[in-house]
Amino acid sequence: MSTLPVTAVPTGAGTATPTSGRPAAESVGAPRRIGLTAVSYAVMALVIVIYLYPLLFLVNTALKSNNEFLLNPTGIVQSPQFSNFVQAWQQGNFASYMLNSVLYTFVAAAMGTVMSLMIAVPVARGYVKHPKIWMGLFASMLFLPNTLVTVFQLALRLNLYDTPIGYILIMASGVGVGPLLIAGYLNSIPREIDEAAAMDGCGYLRYLFTFLPKLMMPVLSTAFILQAIGVWNDIILATILFSSQEHWPVTLGLFNFKGTYTSEWSLLSAATMIVAAPLLLVYLFLQRYLVASVVGGAVKG
Amino acid sequence: MSNSYIVFGRRWTAQLTFAIGMALIVVFSLIPAVGIVVISFTDIRSLPFLPVRWVGLENYRTFFSSAQLAYNVAALQNTFVFAFAVTVFQNLIALLIAVLLNQRLKGRNFARAVVFLPTILGVTVIGLIFSLIFNPSAGPAAQLWSMFGASSAFFGDPSLAMTLVILVQVWSGIGVAVVIYLAGLQAIPQELYEVADIDGATGGQKLRHVTIPLLAPSVTANTLLCIIGALQSYQLIYVLTGPINPATQVLSLAIFTQGFGGPQGGAVQSQGYAAAIAVVQFIIVAIISLATLAYLRRRETAL
Repeated sequence: MSTLPVTAVPTGAGTATPTSGRPAAESVGAPRRIGLTAVSYAVMALVIVIYLYPLLFLVNTALKSNNEFLLNPTGIVQSPQFSNFVQAWQQGNFASYMLNSVLYTFVAAAMGTVMSLMIAVPVARGYVKHPKIWMGLFASMLFLPNTLVTVFQLALRLNLYDTPIGYILIMASGVGVGPLLIAGYLNSIPREIDEAAAMDGCGYLRYLFTFLPKLMMPVLSTAFILQAIGVWNDIILATILFSSQEHWPVTLGLFNFKGTYTSEWSLLSAATMIVAAPLLLVYLFLQRYLVASVVGGAVKG
Repeated sequence: MSNSYIVFGRRWTAQLTFAIGMALIVVFSLIPAVGIVVISFTDIRSLPFLPVRWVGLENYRTFFSSAQLAYNVAALQNTFVFAFAVTVFQNLIALLIAVLLNQRLKGRNFARAVVFLPTILGVTVIGLIFSLIFNPSAGPAAQLWSMFGASSAFFGDPSLAMTLVILVQVWSGIGVAVVIYLAGLQAIPQELYEVADIDGATGGQKLRHVTIPLLAPSVTANTLLCIIGALQSYQLIYVLTGPINPATQVLSLAIFTQGFGGPQGGAVQSQGYAAAIAVVQFIIVAIISLATLAYLRRRETAL
């Protein structure tokens, strides 16, 4: 359960001999067991290939010159061209899109998490009236209708159309499972802790913003990560809320780049790689954390 | 319970922070949600200075009118086909992969990480990768097709586009489902299998009488998540086939095209009409997810 993800290569997993693992103390015959394990390894290798092939093909295409792609679109790259990345980076304006995306994702997810904390704690602890009704409202926030039209109208009428602040506020308010997760986690923290904190002269604000977060780091990061994935992936809301290109997130920038350089597949692939690379890097370091977060959020939801 | 809220002396700080958080969510999330219903009875437009009139049920009448009906029925059909196929395939394949990766295999953590990868990459990157793979003139899929003497426009082929979109959606969605199933599998106490062994149960019997009943809550969670997600999803379809492709027009995309026209332009009604589609969609999603939930809960207790 603790090995890092990217230490093995797909072929290694595929050719591994079926002798690993704890010998199963089962009544099934040994030959059948080995046959079954071999099948398992074969299927696993197939799954890995299905998932890695598209990515490797992307890298392969990104390294080709336009000429080489035209001559041999699917073969392995012969003379790698790193200039594609430079060209894509410059023509696609990805530095600014990436900066926008990082800003939107970080600020909106952080705001959303703080908002979730602010509303979930008093409800879970009964510090406001009618906690049951509020919990019901939190649950119903998971099943909201498609609000593209009203969100657009709201932004328009509040003078928030085509402003990063408007986009961030709208994205931050989509807290999803956040409040439910935090309230659920708080139920596992004994109330006596509140009383002890209060006894020591800790005010509610300090309790809420410095004392509790230390105790609830896992669930707060889950809420943050879940919302961050949502913001990072958004393309439609950005399309309807921004008219100026300077505000675009990287999803929209990349999509637009595709529209401009429709048939220059090497350049497009390089651009895609530029967007994907930081994500892969983050994933490499946070993989176990991210996976655990998504499960925690999904199962609660 | 009743006297616990005097722990922190003054109650107003708790109420104030609650109110601030709630106010933002109400303004930017709940008011738009309720507003959709209100707006669906108006002829509101995307320009802010035009007068807004109440039109009663007109938008709903338009939705079911003969001029729009064919388009909307097609969108409904596409939505159902997409949601149904994605839910079934994603869950079945994810369950198989989860059972596979629950064995003590070398490299299974790597496999799990790889399957989960699309969740991180996001729709635009995934969309571009598969546009590249299914590039009709020079992609690997085209090469595979030509080996059988065939050719295809792939995402441009009306009879194939939906299948491919479903395929890509399943590819990118399996990771989350696998992880949920794995969590469910690992929560099954090992003793149950040992007891089954003592009773002389075969592998199939163990699967039928131990694994499946105890995994039922995960199946419910996954199916429900998937149905709700798939009935409302459009970002990937938008990236892969654009907003106005009739072969992959789903309700969510119809809301987008009717309300905003999309970059290529399209049949733009008033945004009130788009809101009416959103309400219809919401009712459908509510009915289907509640019915599915009721059915799966009953199955869970029956198993």
